[in-house]
Amino acid sequence: MTDSKLTSQGAPSGFNWKPLVTNQSTILVAVILLLAGVFSAGSYGSFWDVSVFNNILTDWGLIVLLAVGQTFVVISGGIDLSVGSTVSLSGVVAGVVMVNWMHLDLNVKNEAAIGPLLIALLVCIATGVAVGLLNAFLVNVVGIVPFIATLATLGGGAGLAIIWSGGMPLQGPNFYGLVNPIKIGEISLSPISFAVLVVAVVVTIAGLFLAKARFGLYTYAIGSNSFAAKAAGINVKRHLTWVYVVSGALSGIAGMYAYTRLGSGSPSSGAGLELQAIAAVVIGGTSLMGGSGKMLGTILGAFLLYEVQSGLLMVGMDPNWKQVIVAIMIAGAVGIQGFSFGQRRK
Amino acid sequence: MTGELIYEVKNVSKRYGSVVALDGASLKLHAGEVIGLVGDNGAGKSTLVKVLSGAHKPDGGQIFLDGVERSWESPRDALESGVETLYQDSGLAPHLTVSENVFLGREKYKKGILGWFGFLAKKTMEAEAQEDLEKVGIAFPSANRPVSQLSGGQRQAVAIGRAVSWARKVIILDEPTNHLGARQAGEVLQIIRAAKAKGLGVIFISHTLPHVLEVTDRIVVLRLGRIVKDSPTKDYNNDTLLGTITGTIQTIKVEGD
Repeated sequence: MTDSKLTSQGAPSGFNWKPLVTNQSTILVAVILLLAGVFSAGSYGSFWDVSVFNNILTDWGLIVLLAVGQTFVVISGGIDLSVGSTVSLSGVVAGVVMVNWMHLDLNVKNEAAIGPLLIALLVCIATGVAVGLLNAFLVNVVGIVPFIATLATLGGGAGLAIIWSGGMPLQGPNFYGLVNPIKIGEISLSPISFAVLVVAVVVTIAGLFLAKARFGLYTYAIGSNSFAAKAAGINVKRHLTWVYVVSGALSGIAGMYAYTRLGSGSPSSGAGLELQAIAAVVIGGTSLMGGSGKMLGTILGAFLLYEVQSGLLMVGMDPNWKQVIVAIMIAGAVGIQGFSFGQRRK
Repeated sequence: MTGELIYEVKNVSKRYGSVVALDGASLKLHAGEVIGLVGDNGAGKSTLVKVLSGAHKPDGGQIFLDGVERSWESPRDALESGVETLYQDSGLAPHLTVSENVFLGREKYKKGILGWFGFLAKKTMEAEAQEDLEKVGIAFPSANRPVSQLSGGQRQAVAIGRAVSWARKVIILDEPTNHLGARQAGEVLQIIRAAKAKGLGVIFISHTLPHVLEVTDRIVVLRLGRIVKDSPTKDYNNDTLLGTITGTIQTIKVEGD
């Protein structure tokens, strides 16, 4: 990081990685490695054991998808609380379409399930986009602050998920191979699964759009000073609509991700995930005041969050403490941000 | 002294609920002319600025640019037609760099693959921003620093430089010398003279009357949403200008009638 100036000048392509990396990222990587060492040091088995790591990576992917969308929303100066219930809702809607409408059941498996699952993916994305549009409508047109607008859609989405599923998971076509490690012949690429690859592609595209493209620049500008953005000729409401739609669409993809893992559309698959996504964003150094933040920070934040939770489970902590740990980490991260912000202002 | 009529508003009014912020104001601006717009707090200056810059639509009246009647739907409309505005205190995004602020809304792109994925040309914009601001006569630190790291005077310089380098016809400066030291304020006035020399029409809004008297060709005084006086700057001195703004001079006149 200290030689970021050198690298940016030395890169012949002129491609500047500096915006993707911050000092906070370096700190996060250090903490992640340190904790990994601590958790592996006990007699509880290696934290990096491949099967454990595969589980972590797959679980982590779900949070990452939500946190990526949340990063755009938070940088724009808003917040999206509806992402968790959108995971549940889109998974349930996909289940309803496949099970109740197309009359497919859990015996449609593996390669035979690819067709229905692709339809399900489109259904999930459409559901997420619909929630995003509703959020944008409430924020832009009705004029409700994002916190309350998305709190309303959080509640509404969770309720609809229970009503449409009858409160029970809808078991439908499944293809668990998508979430298990990829095998080429006899060689396993563990912990890399198809699902993890999808997440990697999404993260890369989103990261580039945030750091390199107009979409990202306008997101920062609106979060930094929406009046200045408007005065510069940016259509602020239209841009915010896109931001909430992106968050909704990614929540829909996350809903499909959860469906693929469970083999069913469950009305509780996304419960509480909004807290995890926001925690990942904030731990990654994105300011809740808007205007600043990096995608790499979010990814590392999500990983740190997941590492701490699963590490503590491995050393025998009661799983019910999980939410408390996440809450403490959010408070800690925001506290540190507030402290360093105060320092800068002096 | 001045060129053709470029910007004109006729009889514009604007209401906020029951409050009449602007009541039939008319204004003419010529190329190469600097107009001072003065008035007490609540006189309607900010409202008139918002109408002129396209931020607010007037309830009544007409707007002409180069003799053609226009109706601004958004600030973007006015910007694209060559009317730039520097808003009081809030023109820049503090988290963005100097060059990102200068180019905000008018970014340059790299040539992408098949015209797709054309990322922002940050290096080009940094170099051009530096050049543009230097041309305007502003000394300031490197263009890739976030605006939040600049001093108040440097921020103001960037904001003015941005407006002047983009303006093609009209530039509206709302309190550009606020919070500035004497030397920096002097630099701002110098920039205004440079803009005038370039043939731009300048509307200069300020509470600092000596600045207004120093740099303008004509002074328009607003009171309670109405234009109460519009005369060449040489017709005013500090006392008569202040009296016209506060209403003491006109009040005496009216009573004398």
